Amino acid sequence: MEGNRKRWDTLKRDRMERIREAIPLVKMGKIVEASNAVKLLETVIKPYDKVTIEGDNQKQADFLADCLCKVDREQVHHLHMVQSAISLPSHLDVFEKKIASKVDFSYAGSQATRLAQFVKEGKIEMGAIHTYLELFGRYFIDLTPRVALTVAVSADKEGNLYTGFNTEDTPVVIEATKFKQGIVIAQVNEIVDKVPRVDIPGDWVDFVIQAPQPFYVEPLFTRDPANITDSQVLRAMMVIKGIYAEYGIQSLNHGVGFDTAAIELLLPTYGEELGLKGKICKYFSLNPHPTLIPAIESGWVESIHSFGGESGMADYVAARSDVFFIGPDDSLRSNRTYCQAAGHYGIDLFIGGTLQIDKFGNSSTATASRIAGFGGAPNMGCDPRGRRHSTEAWLKCGREDGVQRSLIGDLPRGRRLVVQLQETFREKMAPGFVDKLDAWKLAETAGLAIPPVMIYGDDLTHIVTEEGIAYLHKCSSLEERMAAIRAVAGFTEVGLEEKPEETTELRRKGIVRTPEDLGIDLSRANRSLLAAKNVRDLVEWSGGLYHPPAKFRSW
Amino acid sequence: MRKWEEMQERSFYESTARERAINLVDKGTFTELLAPIDKMTSPHLPILGEAVSFDDGVVTGVGKIGKRPVFVISQEGRFIGGAVGEVHGAKMVATFRLAQQSYEKIKEKYPNDYESRIPAVVISFETGGVRLHEANAGLLAHAEVMEQIQHCRGKIPVIGLVGSKVGCFGGMGFVVVATDMVIMSDRGRIGLTGPEVIEEAMGKKEFDASDKSLIYRITGGKHKYIMRDAAYLVKDTIGDFHKQVAEALKMSYDEVQSHRCIGSLKLVEEQLELVKIAAENNFKDATDVWAYFGNKKSDQIQDQFYDEFIREAKRRPRR
Amino acid sequence: MALQELNFSFKPEKNFTSFAPEWFHSGVVGSGDMEVLMEHKKQDGKVTVKVVTPVTGFDQVWEKVLAKFVAETKIGNLHMEINDNNATPFIVHMRLKQALFEAKGDVES
Repeated sequence: MEGNRKRWDTLKRDRMERIREAIPLVKMGKIVEASNAVKLLETVIKPYDKVTIEGDNQKQADFLADCLCKVDREQVHHLHMVQSAISLPSHLDVFEKKIASKVDFSYAGSQATRLAQFVKEGKIEMGAIHTYLELFGRYFIDLTPRVALTVAVSADKEGNLYTGFNTEDTPVVIEATKFKQGIVIAQVNEIVDKVPRVDIPGDWVDFVIQAPQPFYVEPLFTRDPANITDSQVLRAMMVIKGIYAEYGIQSLNHGVGFDTAAIELLLPTYGEELGLKGKICKYFSLNPHPTLIPAIESGWVESIHSFGGESGMADYVAARSDVFFIGPDDSLRSNRTYCQAAGHYGIDLFIGGTLQIDKFGNSSTATASRIAGFGGAPNMGCDPRGRRHSTEAWLKCGREDGVQRSLIGDLPRGRRLVVQLQETFREKMAPGFVDKLDAWKLAETAGLAIPPVMIYGDDLTHIVTEEGIAYLHKCSSLEERMAAIRAVAGFTEVGLEEKPEETTELRRKGIVRTPEDLGIDLSRANRSLLAAKNVRDLVEWSGGLYHPPAKFRSW
Repeated sequence: MRKWEEMQERSFYESTARERAINLVDKGTFTELLAPIDKMTSPHLPILGEAVSFDDGVVTGVGKIGKRPVFVISQEGRFIGGAVGEVHGAKMVATFRLAQQSYEKIKEKYPNDYESRIPAVVISFETGGVRLHEANAGLLAHAEVMEQIQHCRGKIPVIGLVGSKVGCFGGMGFVVVATDMVIMSDRGRIGLTGPEVIEEAMGKKEFDASDKSLIYRITGGKHKYIMRDAAYLVKDTIGDFHKQVAEALKMSYDEVQSHRCIGSLKLVEEQLELVKIAAENNFKDATDVWAYFGNKKSDQIQDQFYDEFIREAKRRPRR
Repeated sequence: MALQELNFSFKPEKNFTSFAPEWFHSGVVGSGDMEVLMEHKKQDGKVTVKVVTPVTGFDQVWEKVLAKFVAETKIGNLHMEINDNNATPFIVHMRLKQALFEAKGDVES
């Protein structure tokens, strides 16, 4: 019969063939010398392959990324990069050199401007900008990597990998690649006889290369308390009193930034004073933020699961195994996929800062000249419609929802709190509220299908500015939401449209509350409320277990 | 304004110039001279479109510690990095002059027991030196302040405090070491050329200005304390600085000025000897110097907390 | 690009309170911040303000921020001089309120 002649193992045969070609490059077991790395890539990567370079928030397969830029483009071209982060110059150099041509990614950070330029010049064909969970999801649907260039702390000669403190994306990248007959190459800092713990079993890894330099790690989640402003302190007071205490928020995620750092540093002072210890902020899905140390040390926090590690926090985290997820080797086990899933379904509140909020409440960090991507924030900054377990905070937010009854009748259903912290004007008078998001302009210049919006207005429940809190989910119409946004938008073009009589009515309904309504004393809103005022104080809180990177050591 | 007692507990590093000035002297004794109400702003900054301040970045006044009048000069780093312009400099100089007038009057009034009543000058430095927008006036002010310190010698103790965010750099780095006694916290920094300028001139390999840790090893309070550029190292509260100043004012004038770094042939020779030691030993980092003076765990010093450091630090022996 | 000076005058609220201290000063002219000098001035309850700032093009925003402060605090017989260095409207509003609060405390204590 016709069907019997069809081959059902072409991927496997192709894989075997590529591996066979690479055998002369193997020194011993799975180990390939760094000097043969470029040759290895030229051998196992074929034109039009989907390739992932592991570029996490923290650890970077930087050596393999450099090697990929050096391959012969006669042999290797038209690659389709499917990677979570574009964080190193080399991640874009492969496009400049015409080795790769298309990209699907989540986050671009420091390369955002150059990426936008490349897209505009037609050097890159844009697949889509994903959130982490979407991209990881599509690894198992239609964006499965043919070759994964990954990174670990150490490996043994059987290829067992130790990813340690910064495990991050490695498990999901390797699982998707390996089990669809792909090829996994790992760069490691060292090759050892026995790895401290097996994070990735050796038979999921094809080649191991000891990189000439340890992989690069960026301290992305460290915020020096010395740079927290009085207005950030005020917003933090408002969040603690007007949201965390109001709803009894026990499980949450903090987006990274000075605003959330201020909240973390106010828990042991202002939070304590309000008698909230044990009632709020017990469970986090969060990287090990150094600014959370005082709250942890004061006994606020029961549990933290992390997406990745953070420079200098290894010893502290290892010594707090009641709080963090620690392996048998006593070091942190982070995992971006699991932590994002936990952050999507397991928590009651997401809070973070943004660049722009429009008059409807949509927010974006895009500007016309930067494609920054999303990272994981939208996976947490949304109401997970598939959630079925209930908590008090979730139910209260659902009960307050101004439109729910008009959609599902009197059935009780809760709602995730999604909070945006916004300064009405940032430095140089850049407005935090705008009539139209810059994301529209970016979509036009970069030819994106939709404007890249971080959090859609209908997912957003609260906006916190210095002017007040808008409890947007309580509104029963778009008109009312827009009025509530105007009421807290200060002296921006959006705020100047505010009508005092509307605001008075919204305050009466409890949809808008000013610091005064919340009983917050403006004169106390200053840095003296911070439990730690600088990095040195954090070290002291940690009992000397936190070892900040040199650029934060101002003593 | 917060209560004096509360402010004694407050971080010196975090405090404004005015908070430091008021709370470095005894409770309720501070009178500000040329206060904001006098609106003595810089005549030069407006032309350049630069923001002005009613005190031109320095708070001057007089208070008391015990029986002694204390003339205070307190620089504000938040205003143009505490840089010294014309008005700022003139306020410093005038404060020194007032202290000298006060000295003469007290001597006249209490010919027999004036020693326990003589005034002191306390300068809380927070500055990068000359204000480039009015550089000539700023440079002149540096020279004049130096001159005033000389006028005070043998009469009025001049005490320099360094523990604020900006530190004490540029020309004021010279001025501070010309005082009779320097009191620092481990957050304070003293240097002549700013870190960025050194990097610019010598290259990143020689001096990486983004390495805050390195900057603190070279310019920070602990190093200055070991080297005896700083006579005392105190904890970072206004109260600890206040207490140390009060202690100094209990000392005889001779004892205070025994902490000078420069100002006599003997002291110059001592400094030259240090230069020789540095050249001979080819020190690569401050930690090498610390080890040379007998600090065995020199690589741990930077991370030591105050009490442990004070307990264990071995300082440069004086001749 | 010289510094610019803006002058404003506001009619007091009906039930205004006179600014009591002879004068009160608050704030530091740091980057993104400002200082204010508040002086008692008998002027039929009016609040007059002089702003000195390097920032141009925000005259209307200043007027609105100051009007809001006068309306919210119901303060009168006050002359204020502000030295600004790129403070955002909210910082201005917060600093003024903090200053007024401290000025009152100063009188009471």
